[in-house]
Amino acid sequence: MSHALDLSASIQASSWRRRFLQPLMRQRSAVVGLVIILAYVLAALFAPWLATHDPTAQDLGAALQGPSAAHWLGTDSFGQDLYSRLLYGAQLALIIGFASVALGLVVGVAIGLAAGLIGGRTEWVLMRIVDGLLAFPELILAMAFMAVLGLGTENLVYALALSFVGPFARMTRGDVLQVKSQPFIEAARLMGVPTLAIIWRHVLPNVVSPILVQAGMRVSIAILLESGLSFLGIGVVPPTPDWGLMIAEGRGFITIAPWISGVPGVALAILLVALNLLGDGLRDAFDPNTQKDA
Amino acid sequence: MNQVSVLAQNIPVESSAEAPLLEVRDFSLRRKKATVLDRITLSLNPGETLGLIGESGAGKSTLAMALIGLLRAPEVEIEGSLRFRGTELTALKEADFRRLRGNKIGLIFQDATAALNPCFTVGKQIAEPLRRHLGLSASACRARAVELMQSVGIPEPRLRLDAYPHELSGGMQQRVMIAIALACNPELLLADEPTSALDVTIQAQIMELILDRVRALNSSAIFVLHDLALGAQVCDRIAVMYAGQIVEEGPSECVLNAPLHPYTQGLKSCVVELGMPTLTPIPGQIPPLDAMPNGCRFAPRCPKAQAICGEQRPEAHTRDERQVACWFID
Amino acid sequence: MWQATFTKLGQTLLVLLLVSVASFSFLKLAPGDPVTIMLGSDYSKASYDQLTQELGLDQPVIVQYGHWLANFVQGDWGTSYITNQNIFELAVFQALPVTLTLAAFSLLIALVIGIPTGVMAALYRNSWVDVLATTLAIGGNAFPSFYLGIILIWVFGVGLGWFPTLGFVAPWDDFWQGMWHLALPAITLGAWYVGLIARITRSSLLEVMGQPYILAAKARGEPGWRVVWVHGMRNVLMPLVTVIGLQLGGMLRGAVMTEVVFSLPGLGMMITSAVLNREYIVIQAGIMLTGVLFVVLNLMVDQTYQFLDPRLRRRK
Repeated sequence: MSHALDLSASIQASSWRRRFLQPLMRQRSAVVGLVIILAYVLAALFAPWLATHDPTAQDLGAALQGPSAAHWLGTDSFGQDLYSRLLYGAQLALIIGFASVALGLVVGVAIGLAAGLIGGRTEWVLMRIVDGLLAFPELILAMAFMAVLGLGTENLVYALALSFVGPFARMTRGDVLQVKSQPFIEAARLMGVPTLAIIWRHVLPNVVSPILVQAGMRVSIAILLESGLSFLGIGVVPPTPDWGLMIAEGRGFITIAPWISGVPGVALAILLVALNLLGDGLRDAFDPNTQKDA
Repeated sequence: MNQVSVLAQNIPVESSAEAPLLEVRDFSLRRKKATVLDRITLSLNPGETLGLIGESGAGKSTLAMALIGLLRAPEVEIEGSLRFRGTELTALKEADFRRLRGNKIGLIFQDATAALNPCFTVGKQIAEPLRRHLGLSASACRARAVELMQSVGIPEPRLRLDAYPHELSGGMQQRVMIAIALACNPELLLADEPTSALDVTIQAQIMELILDRVRALNSSAIFVLHDLALGAQVCDRIAVMYAGQIVEEGPSECVLNAPLHPYTQGLKSCVVELGMPTLTPIPGQIPPLDAMPNGCRFAPRCPKAQAICGEQRPEAHTRDERQVACWFID
Repeated sequence: MWQATFTKLGQTLLVLLLVSVASFSFLKLAPGDPVTIMLGSDYSKASYDQLTQELGLDQPVIVQYGHWLANFVQGDWGTSYITNQNIFELAVFQALPVTLTLAAFSLLIALVIGIPTGVMAALYRNSWVDVLATTLAIGGNAFPSFYLGIILIWVFGVGLGWFPTLGFVAPWDDFWQGMWHLALPAITLGAWYVGLIARITRSSLLEVMGQPYILAAKARGEPGWRVVWVHGMRNVLMPLVTVIGLQLGGMLRGAVMTEVVFSLPGLGMMITSAVLNREYIVIQAGIMLTGVLFVVLNLMVDQTYQFLDPRLRRRK
């Protein structure tokens, strides 16, 4: 028995490798993206050890300094160390990016599953709510939620998550409807397999990969929105080390201290490029609907 | 096939007196080191029809593409000569070749649905060669397009002029394709499997139409076909192609009734005819282009192959009016 | 024959209704009691009740919604209590034209640069143009527009002094001044689109050029430029419009950021300052207007698609 379990586990591991890792590894640019993202993740994880200063410690005497031995990437107008803020900013960006997409995914997939599986009036009502959400551009939606919820890191995650519910819900419902029409679902039903077991064993695995691809592509949008909203002043609040806030702060000093906005700006741009590369790679590797442009 | 047989009256051609319209001599075409066409030699007199017969992958369509100049150096490597009305096509500048395309040489595609641009009306597509090569005005183009559509049997041509391809049936689309190919009264018409994408019921109609138009214009035509019997009925002469080579060439009736090359014999026995219950397929398939045998390319599948066939390429022997490339002509 | 049109119209109306419900609920969800806000800190119970009644807040929610919608449709959107401006005028006559001008100008720039780049990349695959197009596509799509705007201001505005760094001059008042002021914002926003357009043009054209009808056009003796730009590009237009439509949300996102960076008094600027000032009634107007705009733009894209693809058109 335990032997059989071992075997099935190893088969699953190898099939995971074959189905997931290998096709992805064939996309060279996706690998580059993945490596860059891993570097950011490591920087974020080890920020407390890598940082040379407290990211929010102000030292007005050392304000607006260029890169030096004491402050590797210089300081901002409050004398805060940009290198340390950069590391903690990576932490914040990744946490907000992944958390908001994960939350949006869970809620959206739940709504989509419910709509697709229950059908009838429930489906109609749920999908009209989703239509209502989708009728707005994400940023406007997130701004509206921020206005209702108030500023702050946690609220920003909720606001972004809410603005992602719509796409995930619509997509899941579409996939569920498609899977539901497949003969093997009917067969399972006729064999008396309970509905929940059908969802768990047959429906979910079939909708999982397009949804994960979508999630991968959303993370970069989430981080862009997060930093954008903070840049506008309707995201996280100062002195939280956030790239968007840092860029906004550095904007006023662009002529005398371009590094203040340059450091977070370049870091953000590189992360977004890496996320896009990975997202495109994921899509090309797993989404049969989009053909790779040769 | 009986419907087509009416068309098979061979028109006598005074061959030697006239200069041939098209002369292909030792023409080879290589793509990425693979020899797709190997020393093709053919000639076609004015008013003559020739059938290029062979399995898919034999290089028939490639030859047609080379003749209309859509496959040229430097895209592919070319050797030998293609002479059309005494002009060496391989040496022609692209701009000069373009003046022949759709003008003196017309091409009918296999699948009209795919070969008509979905975003332009059929009238516009018929008018294109008229405007380009004959320099007709817009109104003259329309008038001529209506005539052309009438000549290929499209009912109510004036109404169909502004139709988009998807609004026409497959047969009508192929008629449009024929009208385009014949718009400038070409001296040479190339027809690449012109009926194989159509319903069986209208195949004969379309074939008859093409032949009819070719005769009316006194053009020459090359038909690319995979059916030996159809080719023999439709064309004055037949060239059987195998793996990029012409293995046998001659008057249709001779080739069909008394094939000399083992491959032609094999093709003939593949033909299903009424009252002929057995069908003998040729074993194996055309070898891949990068793994062609050195000797006779048909040798691996040939029932009569001997040692020499695997070593040396057979040269074309002339026997009566035909050319056969085989070591053992019985 | 008209059934499809009516279905489409019905769907659009339903979505517009959903937009209005969402915008209405927004104000209901917003923190703070509007009556308290309007009365200030000092008020009596009587004046509170009176204002509640005047505003119709004692009525059932559905009636309130009806009133609100009726007012909205009639252009009575209330007055901003910070600037004392009529919100309808502020949003529709002042902010909306700025945003639309910026978006249109950016799209134009992106098309003018993106399409030829994509075509060249497709025709000369794996050449430097192709590499440039791919780089533009990945970089431009990912680069945060608000930081790009700052860089452009720094280099071309402050450093070289070629362009003004902020403000908006309506091109319909003074065309050249308007264009001059719009140049940097439009490049900022357009940069995001250029790569996308180049990439779609490239991949669609590559696919189209492999179609038999392209070969057929060549076989008719059409010259190379006509084969690419007429026979090829005509068929690339459809996927191009689809992608532009799909990215409208991204366009509006970029427009908001760009407006704030360049201090353009558009919708994005209006909503942002309203959020910062907690002027919920203005935010609501902004949400409603962007929602409607988004729906209308999507509908237009859809119609364009029908117009471009004869296969979707019904016969006259």
